[in-house]
Amino acid sequence: MAVIQAILDGIMIGGVYAVISIGLTLVFGVMGIINFAQAEFLMLGMFVAYYAWAWLGLDPLIAAPLAFVVVFALGAAVHQLMIRRVLQAPVVAQIFLTVGLLIVLENAALVMFGSSFRSVTTPYQTSALQVGELFVSVPYLAAFLMSVACGVALWLFMRASWFGRAMRATAQDPMAARLMGINADAMHRLAFALGVALTAFGGAVILPYLTVSPTVGGQFVVLMFTVVVLGGLGSVAGAVAGGLAVGIIQSLSALAFPIQLQNLVLFVVFIAVLALRPEGLLGGSR
Amino acid sequence: MRLGLSQRQAALIALALVVAIALPFAFDARGYTIRILCLGLLFAAMAQAWNIVGGLANQMSLGHAAFFGIGAYTSTLLLIHFGISPWLGLIASGVLGGVAAFAISLPTMRLRGHYFALATLAFGEVMRVIGNSWSELTGGPVGISVPFAKPSFAMFQFADTRTYYWLMLAAFIVVTAVFVAIKRSRTGYRLQAIKENADAAEVIGVDTTRTKIIAAIVSGALTACLGTFYAQFQYFFDPDTVFGVASVSIRVAMIAIVGGIGTAVGPLLGALFVIPLEEAANQVFSAQVAGLAQLVFGTLLIIVILVEPRGFIVLWQRLVARRKPGAPS
Amino acid sequence: MTAPLLEIEGVSKRFGGLSALSDVTAHVAQGEIVGLIGPNGAGKTTLFSTLVGLHRPNAGTIRLNGKNLVGLKPHKVAAAGMVKTFQNIALFLDSTVLDNVLIGGLMRHSVEDARDLARRCLDRVGIGAIADKFAHNLSFPERARVEVARALCTEPQILLLDEAMAALNPVEMDEFLKLLRDLRGEGLTLVVVEHHMRAIMSLCERIIVLNFGQVIATGTPREVSRDPDVVRAYLGRSAA
Repeated sequence: MAVIQAILDGIMIGGVYAVISIGLTLVFGVMGIINFAQAEFLMLGMFVAYYAWAWLGLDPLIAAPLAFVVVFALGAAVHQLMIRRVLQAPVVAQIFLTVGLLIVLENAALVMFGSSFRSVTTPYQTSALQVGELFVSVPYLAAFLMSVACGVALWLFMRASWFGRAMRATAQDPMAARLMGINADAMHRLAFALGVALTAFGGAVILPYLTVSPTVGGQFVVLMFTVVVLGGLGSVAGAVAGGLAVGIIQSLSALAFPIQLQNLVLFVVFIAVLALRPEGLLGGSR
Repeated sequence: MRLGLSQRQAALIALALVVAIALPFAFDARGYTIRILCLGLLFAAMAQAWNIVGGLANQMSLGHAAFFGIGAYTSTLLLIHFGISPWLGLIASGVLGGVAAFAISLPTMRLRGHYFALATLAFGEVMRVIGNSWSELTGGPVGISVPFAKPSFAMFQFADTRTYYWLMLAAFIVVTAVFVAIKRSRTGYRLQAIKENADAAEVIGVDTTRTKIIAAIVSGALTACLGTFYAQFQYFFDPDTVFGVASVSIRVAMIAIVGGIGTAVGPLLGALFVIPLEEAANQVFSAQVAGLAQLVFGTLLIIVILVEPRGFIVLWQRLVARRKPGAPS
Repeated sequence: MTAPLLEIEGVSKRFGGLSALSDVTAHVAQGEIVGLIGPNGAGKTTLFSTLVGLHRPNAGTIRLNGKNLVGLKPHKVAAAGMVKTFQNIALFLDSTVLDNVLIGGLMRHSVEDARDLARRCLDRVGIGAIADKFAHNLSFPERARVEVARALCTEPQILLLDEAMAALNPVEMDEFLKLLRDLRGEGLTLVVVEHHMRAIMSLCERIIVLNFGQVIATGTPREVSRDPDVVRAYLGRSAA
């Protein structure tokens, strides 16, 4: 029974991990680079939601779209000023630009917000629904449902809107997309901004059950990368599958190991996938 | 081995060497500046060791902290539990660092670029988590103190910071010598070929796997040895410091890149610039605001990457070339 | 009769569902110049890549001097004496011509000796003068010759040339053909993939024709040019 509970929790957390990680895979799929700073945008999303709660009294779940919009704008600016310039540069430049961005964002947050840990209080924070012998934590469930809603919206966007299709075209065949009149640079900017905004959204919805500080990103870095590598870098469906898988792995390993070692399990999975099947369990586009 | 240096280059190096050796006498032996110089040289040496895989093999490792930490803990634990001199511990550190490098080479052999960086990042984090969890061995997150008895060369303990300075200088010179030796050896030529086109290199007889592993092992072993130097200098460290992504892995890579990746003098240039800058920023800012020094550090990295990712040395060459019309780019 | 230098028996290679090579059997004798022709996509480059070990065949054996090379990595195949050039010229562009060429010599020599060997190879191929030029600054004929020099520096017994003459004009091509004949005269065995029919027909004693991954004809240039299967492969049904 504990196992089933763990799997249930894992699925719910996994859904959130999926939304958090989709951005990473989207950026890689469309632009071919890995944004090492992705987890910092999670942190920023959490802070936006936190201050929306502290100053405006908004529940983080309601603030999540706000976090999305704010970080979207920031992402577009970052792409325009920096990311765009290294796409044709050697790999060392691409890697260390986003590494530098990681350092800048984390420490800028440290400077602006201070290092203390903060959390919100919401009315449903400690509630749980009971379904038979299983408990469904309300904050987990709420985060999961928001993530599903976000995922569906994204799916519709990618399938049905012109922008979504144009982005996918750019990912599949940049040259052909250009010849069709699609501005690759604009698509990159859209992909990057969208990617970091999704991660920020995910950060906002998990705020009810986590604490935020400028260093919270570090906890999620390897986790996010494990999700996308498991599912295949570049594959959005893979990020969903990977998210669920990681959520369940983490939840089950919590039964057996203390918290530090849970991360170890993830890291080992991560390295194993990179070594044995770098294209991911679902096989990515690159 | 002929060094192939021009007269001017040889003269510059000799001059730099003399200045470097004499420098400590200009500063207070117990002062702050000399400690910064020691750390600067240590990080220059670490960046040079990283340069072997980052510069020569074009493998962007974000996990070199793994070797550094392994080295620091190995010699320290041997000292604490068996009373073994850190000089011998140094050898053990080097061996374990080489073994670790071999271990991480195997699963990452076919990975390039971003994937390789990710895998090494994860490896470094694995070591950090182990360091924090395995408290019985490492003392856990609270860290470990290196026992200090009395100043003794045999036990790698000195009261005079100047001695540490000359040791760090020697370490930097040794690692640089290894770097240059590799660059000019068969391995160096093969690494260059692999960097440009691995398949073509294989077809004309380069064992790409073996070549990359050799570079990794040398780099890992040297980095681990420098971990021992660090332990015997600071006398205290914890997993987050010696296995840290930002504090070690990113920093050594950044120093090599900022100075000039793949060049022998790049790591020194980078360290001379980054370490004092960081310390100055720490002094000026961090007293009031945590994180400002690191913010400066990160911004510097971004600026260098955007302006000239091949580092200061190439930037310098570009500036010099511009002043001489008609010179090749 | 001595055994052939290179014996390819029943070699097949599949990529996923696509069969790139089907049961390819061929022999090359010491000192021969053999041509390998076929329409685009016939599998010529795949065959070369498989011979040197870049791909592992799903079936069949590849024997050089009687030793089976299947499963060996390319650097071991090079050590055994077989090396190929690349269709899209895979030079090390950020290195000098000399540094490109000497790599092959490092298998058996020190850097100094490999450098001397490289100079000799460059001279042999007629481009000793450009040893210090950077590979990204070369003209097409120069690049083709550097590829050959680089392969020669591995001191091979058999050289597989993949469309080395693709970017040459007729005068350059004639000079290149003379070079190849001279190399054969010095004991090298050559297998040449080319689309220029005139070059192939005048250079090679024997031709192997590939289509859809299968050998559809072998013989002298004359025999092969009259073979109805070959004509059909190149020109389509109605022409046969």
